[in-house]
Amino acid sequence: MPPRLNILSLARAIPYRTKPQTQWLPRPAIRTATPQFRAYSDSKEPQPPAADRSTRIDAKPLPHVSEEAAQMAEITGTEGPDINQGTPVHEIVKGDKEAQEKLPKVMKDAIKMESNSTPSGTRSYSTMVTPTGGSGGFDMGLVNFDPPSAPTIPGLKFDMPTLPLPKDGHVKHRYDPMVDQVTNLLMRHGKKSIAQRDMALILEHLRTSSVPTVNPNKPLVPGAPPPSHLPLNPILYLTLAIDSVAPLFRIRSQKGAAGGGMALQIPVPLGQRQRRRIAIQWILKTASGKRHTGSGKGSYAQRVASELVGVVEGRSSVWERRSAIHKLGVSARSNIVLPRKR
Amino acid sequence: MPPMPPVPPPLCLKGVRTRLAVPTACFSTSAARFANPPPKRKGTVAPPKRGTRTLNVKKGKSGFTQDTGKRPVQGERRAQRKRIVLTNDNALEVPSLKDLSRSNALDAANEGRVMGFPADVVDALRAVDAFKPTQGWSLFRRPAALMRKETMQLVGLMKEVEGAAKDGQQRKTIRRVLSGDRMSGKSTLLLQGLAVATLRGWVVVNLPDAQDIVNAHTDYAPLPKSSPPQYTQDTYTANLLHQILKANGAILEGISVTTNPKLPLPLPANPTLKNLVELGMVNPEVSWPVFTALWQELLQPGRPPVMLAIDGLSHIMRESEYMSAEFTPIHAHDLTLVRHFVDHLSGQKSLPNGGVVLAATSRSNAPTSPALDHCVKVAEALQNSPDNLPRWDLYRNVDGRVMEVLKGLQDPKTTDLDVIQAGGLTKEEARSIIEYYAESGMLRHQVDDGFVAEKWSLAGMGNIGELERASVRLRM
Repeated sequence: MPPRLNILSLARAIPYRTKPQTQWLPRPAIRTATPQFRAYSDSKEPQPPAADRSTRIDAKPLPHVSEEAAQMAEITGTEGPDINQGTPVHEIVKGDKEAQEKLPKVMKDAIKMESNSTPSGTRSYSTMVTPTGGSGGFDMGLVNFDPPSAPTIPGLKFDMPTLPLPKDGHVKHRYDPMVDQVTNLLMRHGKKSIAQRDMALILEHLRTSSVPTVNPNKPLVPGAPPPSHLPLNPILYLTLAIDSVAPLFRIRSQKGAAGGGMALQIPVPLGQRQRRRIAIQWILKTASGKRHTGSGKGSYAQRVASELVGVVEGRSSVWERRSAIHKLGVSARSNIVLPRKR
Repeated sequence: MPPMPPVPPPLCLKGVRTRLAVPTACFSTSAARFANPPPKRKGTVAPPKRGTRTLNVKKGKSGFTQDTGKRPVQGERRAQRKRIVLTNDNALEVPSLKDLSRSNALDAANEGRVMGFPADVVDALRAVDAFKPTQGWSLFRRPAALMRKETMQLVGLMKEVEGAAKDGQQRKTIRRVLSGDRMSGKSTLLLQGLAVATLRGWVVVNLPDAQDIVNAHTDYAPLPKSSPPQYTQDTYTANLLHQILKANGAILEGISVTTNPKLPLPLPANPTLKNLVELGMVNPEVSWPVFTALWQELLQPGRPPVMLAIDGLSHIMRESEYMSAEFTPIHAHDLTLVRHFVDHLSGQKSLPNGGVVLAATSRSNAPTSPALDHCVKVAEALQNSPDNLPRWDLYRNVDGRVMEVLKGLQDPKTTDLDVIQAGGLTKEEARSIIEYYAESGMLRHQVDDGFVAEKWSLAGMGNIGELERASVRLRM
């Protein structure tokens, strides 16, 4: 296939037509984009310039560069450029100073921008951030801060994330779910920050308290690590204590179902989060009734922590509440009416 | 002429009033005052004021009571608040942790390492109340601290003090004010200075908290024959002597009294400094004369260098809470102990056997002291950008005495009073301390460059207190 256009053979100025111009002058002469609106006075189809509508052949403007080349090729019987494709104006005017001068301003600017991409002026002021500390360097320590590069897969704005997503990747679920739940239940009057401080103090108490001795009569959940591992992993300690005393079900009282105005007690199984919620509430309630040991901010946290230790060691009264619920559930299991199997 | 109205009777008597036809009102409020109060209308009870507790007799889950526990017994709260725990049995022993010792304390190669404090130094530091309850000592197996850049700067100064003796000249007295952001480790820097001084056999005198000197919680009395009047704090001074003896017992025992001080109470025969201090310790009324006598002894030639330190400087750079006989506030510099420290800080008195005077500022418990703030800012600017010095705000009240004491800060080269700025850690230092956290088992994460950089930047470019918060304390 021959080149679409022989640039060297062009010996005259190029009549370049970006788009059909409207005739009315009060509009800005240079339009960089097609207008988004149409005036009532405009016709529905964009009109060609007036000269194009002339019937005289010699009054008609020369066709487009590519069109002209295509016409010439048709006359001479050779294969001309494909008119369906756009005209590469940049290629045509490259190196031709005279042609470049006649380009519209937008294209001139674009050529200028290409030739020197660095900004011409210098700022009179500095936008650098100076550190206030004594470390001296200018490193702000932004981790892995690369400007977003063009993604390799077309159609994506950013690169694909690497899977699996990190555990703390979601801003709302970045912390351990158990810690989140306890924090929210510690919260009073919507003061989450105070609850978070209390939570931190509880975990600190757990990690500084001595290794618990587990009571074999009050077994922890199966698969629990040895107690010597617990203080070094306070979140596990907390989870273990709460999961161990979490009841398996709650007792629902169905009014009037037992006859004679009695309520029928029906055990209802609970989900994991519900079980934990009940256990946490028991522990917090017991802790709030304990004797204060200190004062100020850490007092409540300290009592909650000692209650958690009491749970793991089997001393806490929460265990009795749990066994009472379970005992009641066993006796009331005959009240469960299951759908008949077919 | 119209008829005269009836003349009111001069006396207001019941009988007179009944006989007279015209009722006259005599001026008296007693009837209204002694009348019974109007009966309250029933059913209109004002709603409880905002914030007052009302009786909630509702039963069930909604009536939540957070604190039903008994209150702590007397004295327990204070004990809990002041309790200092220096060990955590659950934390792992760090095998790579080396101790500071007399030989390696001044070693410049320690920079960037975490160094443990030997047991006797820990005892001495505990005796002078150098550990603070808010610091994170209770998380680790035993006390250790990072030898950061500023620590090495301080250690270098101490080396300079010790080195000057070899030329046979009088040793230097170096004065430094520790400044820096909140939680940037100023008190720990002071503690490290005290630890190195203890290891090198210096006499350590630490005023653990300047607030305790000026907040009028201890007794005070005017010093006889002082003009303008100064005030001694006998109980506080006796306690200070007790601390000095506990921290420096071995040194004081080896030095005998040579100056023959005139004291109201007799000393035993052939007294040592220990006997002298014990005398002031058990008799608070002579504690101040004993303290001055002890200081005179320490200034004699051939005695060890002295480390004189205070924490919370801005408390003593203003008027104290004490009141004079004229019921005007006593300036903190009129308290003898504070005067003693301030004279050494300003350079009015020096330590011929060499020594370091250290004053740590505080950012969390600091009353306003514009003169101190300004002087510290100027000294910092002299180090950072000498061509752009801050100016005194003319609309603020200047405390002339404080300005006089701290004017050396504006000319550090001649007066040898300067600031040490506790800034952020470098990334290498941050890595070193984070590795120590991880080895102690208090941080469960792989320590790599990305993690260190993350924590370092979360901690405001290496503020060590924030670094500890971000990595060790489980605040989430």
